[in-house]
Order: sequence, then C-alpha cells, then structure tokens
Amino acid sequence: MRAFWSAWTVAMRIVGVTFRAQLEYRAEFWMRVAFGVAWQLSIIVFAAVLLARFPGMGGWPRGAVLLIAAMRMLSHGLFELFFGRIVELSILVQEGKLDGYLLRPMPVYRQVLLARFPSNAVGDLLVGGSMFAGAVMIVDLRWTALHVIYMIVAVVGGILMEAAIFTVLSCLHMHFPAASIWSYWTVELLGTFGNYPLKILPGVVSGAFTFALPLAFIAYFPAAVLTGNTAGLGYPAALAAAAPLVGLAAFVGARLLWNQSLRHYAGVNG
Amino acid sequence: MSAVTAPGGRRALGGARGLRVLGITALSEFLSPNRMTAVAVRLAVQLFLVVCLWRALYTDTTISVGLTKEQAVGYAVLAMLALRLREANRWGARDTVLQHIELGTIVYWFLRPQSARRYYFLRAVGDQLYGFAWALAGYVICLAVGVLPLPASAGAALAFAVSFLLGQATLYYLTLLTDQLCFWTIRNNAAVDILKFAMNLLSGAYAPLWFFPGWFRVMSAALPFQSTMNVPLSFYIGRLRPADLPAQLALQAAWVLALALLTRLLWRRVTDRVVSQGG
Repeated sequence: MRAFWSAWTVAMRIVGVTFRAQLEYRAEFWMRVAFGVAWQLSIIVFAAVLLARFPGMGGWPRGAVLLIAAMRMLSHGLFELFFGRIVELSILVQEGKLDGYLLRPMPVYRQVLLARFPSNAVGDLLVGGSMFAGAVMIVDLRWTALHVIYMIVAVVGGILMEAAIFTVLSCLHMHFPAASIWSYWTVELLGTFGNYPLKILPGVVSGAFTFALPLAFIAYFPAAVLTGNTAGLGYPAALAAAAPLVGLAAFVGARLLWNQSLRHYAGVNG
Repeated sequence: MSAVTAPGGRRALGGARGLRVLGITALSEFLSPNRMTAVAVRLAVQLFLVVCLWRALYTDTTISVGLTKEQAVGYAVLAMLALRLREANRWGARDTVLQHIELGTIVYWFLRPQSARRYYFLRAVGDQLYGFAWALAGYVICLAVGVLPLPASAGAALAFAVSFLLGQATLYYLTLLTDQLCFWTIRNNAAVDILKFAMNLLSGAYAPLWFFPGWFRVMSAALPFQSTMNVPLSFYIGRLRPADLPAQLALQAAWVLALALLTRLLWRRVTDRVVSQGG
C-alpha cells in the first residue's frame, strides 16, 4: 500500500511539473484549452445539425442519440486526461525520448502518459461534462440507482475501451513511427461515427465498428441499454450490457500486448 | 543570441533548380511506402464510410435544405477528396516551421541563396500538388464507380475550377499565417490544430454549410474558410448557380489579397525575429 501511494505521489509531482512547463508557453496553453473546447463543440454542432435535418436516426429518439454523443464525449475527455499521450507515442519514439524512459525507475507506459500535461483535456472535459449534464436531463428516462451506477461503470468502460484501441495502435508506433497516421485517423473515426446509432449504417460497417474497431462499446451499446433501445441492435442485449466489462478486458489485453511490444523495441537508431 | 539578417536571402535561384523544391513532398512520400499505403487505404475506407453515412441519413427523405441525396453524397465525397490537399505529412519529413524553430535550424532558411519566403511557397505548392494527385485519382475512381456525379453543367464546372483555385490560395495563406505565428510564440501546435478544426468545420468539410443554422452560415460568410471548400463544391453540385460566381469570386479575391498583404508584411518582421541558438 505504501508503494502505491508513493507511486501516486511521484506521478502527481510530475503532473505538477508538466503543468508548470505548459504554462511557460502561455498562449499555447490557452489555445490548447480552446482547441479542446472547439473539438467537442464541433461534435455537438454536427450532431445537432444531423438531428435537426434528419430526425429518423434509426428510430432512436433525439434525447437517446444525444446521450450517445454525451457519453462518448465525456469518456473521450477523461481518456484525454489520463491516457491521451499514448496517441502521440510516435513523437516520443522519433525524438528518442522512449529510449531514456527505459532507463528510469518507473514503468515506461506510465512515463508516456505523464510526458505532457494534457491542456486540451481541460477544454474537452468542460464541454463534455456540460453536454453530459444536459443530455442526462433531456433524455426520457426515470433514473434509478441502478441506472446511475451503470452509467458510471459505462463511462469508465468507455475510457478503457478508447485507451485499449490507442494502446494497441501505439504498439505499431514503437516499431513504425509513421504509423501515427492510423492513430490520428482513428481519432477522427471515433469523433465522426462514435456519436450516433450505428444501426443506420450497413451491417458490414456497423459490424466493423463493433468487432474490428470496437467503438460501439464506448457509448452506443451502453446508451442502448440505458434507454431500452436494445431491440434493433443486431446483437444480443447481454453483449451490449457487458460493454464496460469488454472495455476492461480489452484494456488488459492491450496492456499485455504493449508490454510484449516494448520488449522488442529497438529504438530509432537500431 | 544574435539576430540574423538574411544575407543574400532575397536572391532567387534559377527557375529549374528552385522548382526542384516542389518535388520534395512527393519524393519523401515515395520513399515511405508504408505511409503511402496508409494514405490509400485510409482514403478508400473514408470515402466508403462517408457514402454509407450520407445515404443512410437520406433513408427517410429525398431532399433536405435543397440538397438531394445525390448532391449531398457528391458533396461529401468531394469534401473528403479535397481534404487530401491539406494533409501532406510535412511533420514526418521534419520540415515544418515549428520543428525548425524548436531545433534552431530555421536559421538556415535565412542563410540560403533561396529566400525563406520562396522556399516556403514552393514547399507548400508541392504539398498541395501532391495532395491534388491523390484527390484526382480518387475523383476518377469515384466517377467510375458512380458515387460521384459530373458537374451540374459546363458553367458549374468552370465556376468550380476558378473558385477552387482561389480557395487553395486562401488555404495557403491561412496555413502560412499560423506558421509565421511560430516566430513569436515559439510553439504553434495548438494554433495549427485550431486552424485545421476551424477550416474543417467552417469550410464545410464535415457537412455542407447548407445544413447549418442561419446564424452559422452568416458567421461563415464573414470568414475566409468557406471559400476553401463550401463555395467551390456548392458550384460543382449545382447548389450555387454560375450566376453567383462574380460575387463569390470578389469575396474570395478580397480574402486572398488581404491575407497576401498581411503575410508579406509578417515575412519582413519574421526576419528580425530569427536568432541563431547560442549567439
């Protein structure tokens, strides 16, 4: 237990240092916060536009669609806060910083996550949190304790699923830094297709977003369970309900893969 | 630290030699087959997904805000192709202004016989031409498989071509502006990200601006971004008529002129800001 708290203390001190380092470039810091706000706002604007112009979103009520977007945005904001640096691993590899991390007395994965203070996450969470609060009030649902608990677990599961996806992709960064293009593309895909009922898409596409790039487990399945829209999912309701567990399992698997990948890391200079 | 005064930097190299800079982007991409494969796969999948999404949205309706399904799908496909013109991977080639400023190597841009301004221009044009080759290949394939209609008329094609060119000029100057910002702020990652986001949202890359509320379209009309995508693509699909061309061209030309003057002024100031590390 003492080792656990000691590790947390060190991590928080690093966060404090990286936060002060970000403030050295004051304009850059505030622009990055603004970028987080802008990114999330663009998702809201796009969702609002589509909902206003095309009300027939697979038969889902507007409140339920907003809940998908809100859950994904909140879990994305928290992902950015805790895991966001894993998306940028290729930069650390190209700059040779990962080689240095191998020599320090701290797990490499944790050092990667602590490499930079995520100023943009502040903006992401500001908008994501507001959107989430609004969606919870708008959605036609009688909230019970079970709903609230499931919602919390689902958001955590969404964070872990997003972390799992980008952790797996970052294994490629270690060996092929140019693979960062896949991660940035995946960020876009999650932002574009993670906020709506996937049933509006052809079966092959929704299937790919369930099993190949499992973004359905981040918000779509949990929101379907919460709002009772599991009938037309095309998958067993039990699978949808188990989304948080799937997220946890995916993250554990991704971390094991990452550790394995790190053992074969050769560095940019061979 | 000492200021560098760009000796001889204004002397442009001979045309052919200078123009070789244009090919750097394509050459560096050809040397990275992994990256080229990734771009091809990404573009193909993205186009497929965009077509699926917009066709699905039109399942319960035939027309929305004056756009038919074919027009909306055509716009979305063209927007996806046009985005290729903005996505050359200069970071991978380690030749962004930000990287040079952080490493101190920006000073060499001002010591070469070719001026920094000309080098930047040629590299940017090379980026856009390389992206254009991808977009053109995608365009031909999309036409062949029938997900993209031909321009609404010959006049629409002409209007599209002219406004597209001016839109690319606007895009160049906006990108240059954020890079010039780097000389004052040292870092510009967030500014570049914000610019990309603003360009994508306000230019109509995510969705045609016709779908957005009135206040949003008024705001977009007052900014330069929509001229980089929404205007030319709207001419292509026939949502804007060729008769609208003079007014749109005047607006686009005004933005290009204003941005050209501003960036030219900033190039002069930039020279005074360049310092060699260590003095």
